[in-house]
Amino acid sequence: MSAIRTENLSKTYRSVLGRKETAAVRMLSLEVKEGEVFGLLGPNGAGKTSTIHLLLNLIRPSSGAAYLFDRPVTDTDVHRRLGYLPESVNLLDYYRGEALLDFYAALCGVDAAARRARVAELLRLLGLEEAAHKRVSKYSKGMAQRLGFAQAMVHEPDLLILDEPTSSLDPLGRNDFREILLDLKRRGKTVLISSHILSEVESVCDRVAILQNGELKRVGTLAELSPAQSTRLIVRELPGAAMESLVATSAQVTWAEGQVTIRCQDAATRQAVEEVLRRHDVQIVREEAETASLNDIFLSTIKQETGS
Amino acid sequence: MRIVVLIAMDGIRALIHQRLLVALMLASLAGTVAFSVFLSSAREHVTQSFSEERRATEPTQGDRHLSEAEQRKFREQMEGMSSFVQAGFYKAASLGGSLVALFIFGTAVTSEIRRGTIRLTLSKPVSRTQFLLGKYMGGVAVMIAYAFFASLAVVFFALSQSVELNPAIRWAPWLMFCEQLMLGSLALLLSLFMHPILAAMLAFFAGNGFYSPPNPLYYILPSYSDFGVFFDVLQGNLVDWKDVVFLTLYAFDFVAIMLLLALWRFRTKELL
Repeated sequence: MSAIRTENLSKTYRSVLGRKETAAVRMLSLEVKEGEVFGLLGPNGAGKTSTIHLLLNLIRPSSGAAYLFDRPVTDTDVHRRLGYLPESVNLLDYYRGEALLDFYAALCGVDAAARRARVAELLRLLGLEEAAHKRVSKYSKGMAQRLGFAQAMVHEPDLLILDEPTSSLDPLGRNDFREILLDLKRRGKTVLISSHILSEVESVCDRVAILQNGELKRVGTLAELSPAQSTRLIVRELPGAAMESLVATSAQVTWAEGQVTIRCQDAATRQAVEEVLRRHDVQIVREEAETASLNDIFLSTIKQETGS
Repeated sequence: MRIVVLIAMDGIRALIHQRLLVALMLASLAGTVAFSVFLSSAREHVTQSFSEERRATEPTQGDRHLSEAEQRKFREQMEGMSSFVQAGFYKAASLGGSLVALFIFGTAVTSEIRRGTIRLTLSKPVSRTQFLLGKYMGGVAVMIAYAFFASLAVVFFALSQSVELNPAIRWAPWLMFCEQLMLGSLALLLSLFMHPILAAMLAFFAGNGFYSPPNPLYYILPSYSDFGVFFDVLQGNLVDWKDVVFLTLYAFDFVAIMLLLALWRFRTKELL
């Protein structure tokens, strides 16, 4: 079963008089499977937040459809399985931290005893124990972000939608957040993260989608999205004659820690290198597929589109 | 229903923490009492003038008992002043309550949209219908509290001034409450289309008092004026309980229609 599915989802905003139209999301078809940690990437104005708002039924699609756990997003009952953290966390600031979490848990139908235990556990997990009885209006930005994250998880949802979840966190907070995400991943929860911090997405996401101008440009795992399938062949020793032969190929050879690494940019180079190694009776100890960093993939996708 | 109650309780909590609203409610109650005290002192002034007038015209009569004609004249003047004081009290309380109602209902949903807090609430299993009804119920609960305190103030004022309550004013708190619910529901509906201040102003001035029966606006616009008992109190008229029942049904019917329209609008509103 898919946790999130969109079919040709589009959203166009119109000005008050209807003269000016802005397409925020265009024909977006996407699927996030249960248990997957999925990154939604894109420059500002790419349509990430609009997509999330469509999934939450906060705005209506101009066309297409969106589903959560195979049920239409208009079915609010499916929200029992959903936790959401918005980009700018605006909490009901007249509550105290603990009471706010209790209120949200009650809305999700969590019974009183379970609420008490769960709220205490989350406050401890997010380092907010001491601020539990403090009014939310007195919270710092980072504390509010942590409390926002706590409210998203208070009813143990199966799906978490996080819009720029670490924007207000310090490095320590980001690290804590990453640990929590990895724990959620281990527990089989589905997570959709929209973020500008690519290293963060790279370290936790199974798959990513790159949006630009409301359109889905690329989707897949990092390996799938890597532009060229370059490989590294590791050998123990490389005779001088073999080395001379390798110069003729475009492979790059490096020595480090008692082993030789031969980097092949493409399939043709790899074929030539393997031929040389076979001729000189050199054994390949292991081979590693080389994937581009998410940053490289993101930038190449965006540059390709803008033509720069 | 559980969700509606939770949202209503949250609504009450939000309203209690709105300093401007609390200040408005307290100022409204204080203003009502102050206005009545002013009128009460005017009543005393009349009594005093009457005594001085009597002493001036009959300086040798000392403390003799008033004649029957004098007593009647004095009683009429006293009753007139008492009715005036109560009518004034009612008018001040009614105006204050209307402002409170417009503030509460005009901002109940829009303030959540403006601050973005609605996104978190609606990301929980809360439908828009439950959210809107909950917010309305929360507002109603606060208005009940306000009407209760306003009524208490009436009774306290009457007891402290040894004034007999005018028969018309006995229904005043209820009619006032009904009128405020009507005002509030219209302000809530309009606030989903426009700025809350504009919505409140439109709701306040949308009464059909300026139109008479052949004009279609008379039938479309709410009849706030029918809920006013100012002149009944002033003239000492009795307000018939059948009129009260009729007005109550009219108010509830109006509120139901406004809420249905607000729900229709809110369900399709983009919560950006």
